[in-house]
Amino acid sequence: MESLSAATAESFRLLFSGDAALWVIIFTSFSVSVRAILIAAPFAFLVAFLMAHLRYPGRRTMIAGFSALQSIPAVVVGLTVYLVFSRSGPLGDLQLLFTHSSMIIGQILLAFPLLVALSHAAFQAADRRVWETSVTLGARPSHAFFTLLHEIRFGLIAAFIAGFGRIIAEVGCSMMVGGNILGYTRNIPTAIALETTKGEFSQAIALGMVLLAMALLLNGLLAFFQGRGVMTS
Amino acid sequence: MKEIICYSALRKTLHGRLLLDIDSLAIHEHRCVALSGRNGAGKSTLMRIIAGLETPDSVAVTYDGVAMPWKRACQQMRTHVIYLHQQPYLFDRSVTDNIAYGLRRQGLSIKEISRKVSAALDWAGIGHLQLRNARELSGGERQRVAFARARILSPRVLLLDEPTTNMDSEAREQAHRMIKRLKEDGVSILLSTHEFHTVAHLCDAHLSLESGNLQPQTINQTSSDRKIIPYG
Repeated sequence: MESLSAATAESFRLLFSGDAALWVIIFTSFSVSVRAILIAAPFAFLVAFLMAHLRYPGRRTMIAGFSALQSIPAVVVGLTVYLVFSRSGPLGDLQLLFTHSSMIIGQILLAFPLLVALSHAAFQAADRRVWETSVTLGARPSHAFFTLLHEIRFGLIAAFIAGFGRIIAEVGCSMMVGGNILGYTRNIPTAIALETTKGEFSQAIALGMVLLAMALLLNGLLAFFQGRGVMTS
Repeated sequence: MKEIICYSALRKTLHGRLLLDIDSLAIHEHRCVALSGRNGAGKSTLMRIIAGLETPDSVAVTYDGVAMPWKRACQQMRTHVIYLHQQPYLFDRSVTDNIAYGLRRQGLSIKEISRKVSAALDWAGIGHLQLRNARELSGGERQRVAFARARILSPRVLLLDEPTTNMDSEAREQAHRMIKRLKEDGVSILLSTHEFHTVAHLCDAHLSLESGNLQPQTINQTSSDRKIIPYG
């Protein structure tokens, strides 16, 4: 217990003394995940909108597919991306393996089904009068689409936060396609996994506290925006 | 009186049932026409077709006397015809932003939009509500915002889908006064109702939707200064 309390005290020191190695890991984590979610969200929202508003063969299968893919293990996505970008893989020539790009691609694939499924629920629940009112007041379809996004913004923000929560804490995909390279692709979850196996708990606890704070913040925001969505509907 | 839009041979099937089978429906300038019928008769569907929000199985349309395909007619309708839902939808933003919504899509200057919105707020008597979120308003206040939001776009035809259903008598009176003023402004109005007697004093003609077709009805006059205008 003494060593645990010492490690915890050291973790606070690392966090608040501005330890460069620690903050590079935190920065890498956020840099990769923020870019991944910002790329994935617009496409996911568009797919969700089309699934909610168009009727075409295979639509129900598509909805069920995205719903099922929400729970795909991160390590399976990691394996897939690894095989695609490995030297002998179909996109091996791009030499993206063990770079931020491959980590971003992996996280996009992880977040996309969750973003689609949650935003689809928001689009489905939207009042059809939003679209009709926009159109009858002279809005073009593109304007009506942005009006609809605004009207269901709390549901979309909730989807965005849930998607970000999914990828900021995943370890399997980042470990496989990022390679956990110190100062480059090592992010919070992979660093925690590594430091724990080495018995270096102070850095693992410090990074764990950052993740925990992030999880609490995201859940707080999620509850807030879901509440706003209910209140304004 | 000049004809704005005419729909001929309008057919609409819903879930395998022929809902609308209308030989001819013309909307003329400066007229207020009541459309009555029992619940489920197809009043709302007909109004949504007229607004271009739903597509009929078949129809022939003329706009200002010019025959045109359905898609082009829809474009005309979206510019000149405004449909108000039974419970108008107000966007989750201020009353001012709601009223300015359509104008902002017309490329007008901010100054011009502001001037028109002020005039519309005065017209509807809702100047005191301008900064309130439209979602916080009462049913009657929402209706007034919706009327102002429609009027500001100077539509040729206004489609009102049971505009006074579920309203108390005071809000209903207010809505009737606004419909009358819209009519005086030269807007043609098609108003659906399942209680014609409540809107009879506003209307120049009365059509009843029965078994999918429109039947012209006679208006029993209660006011001595109004004339009976046969429809069709």
